Amino acid sequence: MPLVEFQDFSFKYYGADSLALKKVTLAIDEGEYVVITGPSGCGKTTLCRAINGLIPQFHRGYIAGNVVVNGMNTREHEVAEFATTAGLVFQQPENQLVTLNVEKEIAFGPENLGVEPAEVRRRVEELIDLLDIEHLRDKHPHEMSGGEQQRVAIAATLALKPKILIADEPTSNLDPKSAETILEIISSLNRRGMTVAIVEHRLDLVAKDASRIIVMDQGSVVADGRPREVLVDDICEEIGVGIPKATLIYKRLAAKKVRLSGVPLSGDELASLVKESGST
Amino acid sequence: MIIIEDVHFSYDGLYTALRGVSLQIDDGESLAIMGTNGAGKTTLVKHFNGLLRPQSGRVILNGADTKDFSIAEIAREVGLVMQNPDHQLFLDTVEKEIVFGLKNLGFTEEEATERCSRTITSLGLEGLAQRSPFALSGGERKRVALASVLATEPRVVVLDEPTIGQDACQKQRLAEMLESLNERGRTVVVVTHDIEFVIEHLPRTVAMANGTIVADGQTNKVLSNDEILECCSLTPPQLTQAARSLHEEFPTFPERLTLLSEVESEVLRILGGENSVIP
Amino acid sequence: MSIVLATISLLFMEMLVLLVILALLFPILAASKSLRRWSNSMKSLSVLLGFIIIFNTLLSTATNPFNYSVSLALRLVALMTSFSLFFLTVHPDELSQALIQMRVRFEFAFAMSMAMRYVPTLAQEAYAIMDAQKARGVELDKGSLLKRIRNIIPIIVPLIIVSIRRALSIAESMESRGFGASDTRTYMEKLAFRRKDWMVVVLSLIALLTSIYIRLYVPIPNLSLPF
Repeated sequence: MPLVEFQDFSFKYYGADSLALKKVTLAIDEGEYVVITGPSGCGKTTLCRAINGLIPQFHRGYIAGNVVVNGMNTREHEVAEFATTAGLVFQQPENQLVTLNVEKEIAFGPENLGVEPAEVRRRVEELIDLLDIEHLRDKHPHEMSGGEQQRVAIAATLALKPKILIADEPTSNLDPKSAETILEIISSLNRRGMTVAIVEHRLDLVAKDASRIIVMDQGSVVADGRPREVLVDDICEEIGVGIPKATLIYKRLAAKKVRLSGVPLSGDELASLVKESGST
Repeated sequence: MIIIEDVHFSYDGLYTALRGVSLQIDDGESLAIMGTNGAGKTTLVKHFNGLLRPQSGRVILNGADTKDFSIAEIAREVGLVMQNPDHQLFLDTVEKEIVFGLKNLGFTEEEATERCSRTITSLGLEGLAQRSPFALSGGERKRVALASVLATEPRVVVLDEPTIGQDACQKQRLAEMLESLNERGRTVVVVTHDIEFVIEHLPRTVAMANGTIVADGQTNKVLSNDEILECCSLTPPQLTQAARSLHEEFPTFPERLTLLSEVESEVLRILGGENSVIP
Repeated sequence: MSIVLATISLLFMEMLVLLVILALLFPILAASKSLRRWSNSMKSLSVLLGFIIIFNTLLSTATNPFNYSVSLALRLVALMTSFSLFFLTVHPDELSQALIQMRVRFEFAFAMSMAMRYVPTLAQEAYAIMDAQKARGVELDKGSLLKRIRNIIPIIVPLIIVSIRRALSIAESMESRGFGASDTRTYMEKLAFRRKDWMVVVLSLIALLTSIYIRLYVPIPNLSLPF
């Protein structure tokens, strides 16, 4: 059984003119690293919130169809019940740190759910270690940089031991180095078995680690498959998805009838493919 | 023309943000200011329009020292579009928002209305003109904030991180708009982290670190220098990495290439030109 | 202990005693490293103190008006210092935890600590808004009083809107982490009364009783200032 399943799911926010999600059907299995992308307003943010129950429990609106996460239907359970299955990391780091120091922040989730204090303490220590934030332990959120704040936010989300980590444009407000660090953390979590779904515009940073890319436009899924197949599909350029430059070169060459032996997702891959072809 | 002469600035006497920065920007130029967070980029551009005044050194705008003018007076020459549009939107409709900025700078009612409709048309905001800014999406609000600055037609337009959270389409539109501003003789300054955007669209780059300027020159020279990239915490973009790697194998492949079209034609050249199908 | 000290301050009008009380307070303040903050707030108080001394000296019907006024001023200082001792030494988290353990509902205590947490953020936001509007030609420090009041609108409206958006975003994050889910919320760190705390309580009570006794039965020498 897939971990997350959208069954013909549609959603319209109260007061909106059009559907945010239109009959979306897709499934995410354990262990996948899914990148969700698409032009602004395509429904990616709504999709994220539909996985952990914020839609429809927190954001009211009109819904049709079902979203079943780990066997539970989001229509029938509170958001808190999904907290130990789906952890959501948001775009603004500052708005996810609500307490006065890192320890309390990580403890916040488990405390809310009534976990034993000793176990809470154990998790706090474990996560401070895992995410390498010992030097931030007593700092006030306002004293941290965006990248540091986002790391703490990830730790706080992982404290509930979710099965899937959903990240909604986690690097948008970060400088390039911090963005890379956060994405590396997310990748390594996936390599250790965490299912990951991340919304990202900067495909050049995530495409190489992803196992699957889902492209959305105006509330529907328009492409869904392996990165090397999806990114060369013309639909990406049509709707305005920023594919990695290396892949763009591949496409342009292909249009001029010059086909490389593989689809590159990074500068190095492009270079090796050209070298390979150039030497035959 | 903006001349920054040996400017020093520190916040509250504690945190020194600018240590002896000197810079000259001629009319009609188009440049990027890059650097890590805390390097002083935003502090520097706030000196352009008088939001901050140097503690030592001078800022000379079109031949006059800015210290003799108020921010409102300088705003006629230098328009600053801040990072978060929500920091300035507060009126009922998009139109009123644009007119507000115009009236503040002393335009009459007729002039303001006329400029407002011109700006709305040129930025494609007709459909949104009567709507409340608060009901618009993030990207639309950014365009409204931009419109309200552009309506005053300042000679220098400074944008602080305009590409954050924008998708590829929006970035393309932004690039086109900056180009058209440049064609009309305006000076464009963009503070950004987005190295790919800078490479494709901004011919000059000023790189900052620790409150000083570490490099100032043609974009493709500045941003192919590894030390500079390191200073600014930037990684070379995909195409530069590809170019470097290819240069090792094919010495005729120019190492410094960074534009998409350039890389494409060079690769084609290596592979034997169009229509040569590789088995 | 703060309450006791405050009460004692109120019991006495004699300068000598008040000076003694202040003398007691100083080491406590020093021990909690709050002397500088205390002196900062006392500086702002000094204007009020000045007024009290002047007006009471001129208008009082007591035998020695100046003495009386100075005593009044000293009493005010002692009173304020006792109270501020509490706020200067207790960390907001501990205060919040104390309230929770006194059976205040978690949501209220947490709202209080969240408010404190976001104060610097909000302040920064306010400055950014002021910068943004100044860059559009809004002149915040010129013009008639009426104009300046109207110029608050371009600052307040964005601040409110931005705060509401932020609040929604924060709520999403908290909800996703189970806020309000369980009535049996646990706490990683709990506050407990230690032996030292009991000793302070006992000492304070003794001090209070002794002071009341002194007030009622023991004559105090009158310290007089030569005016």
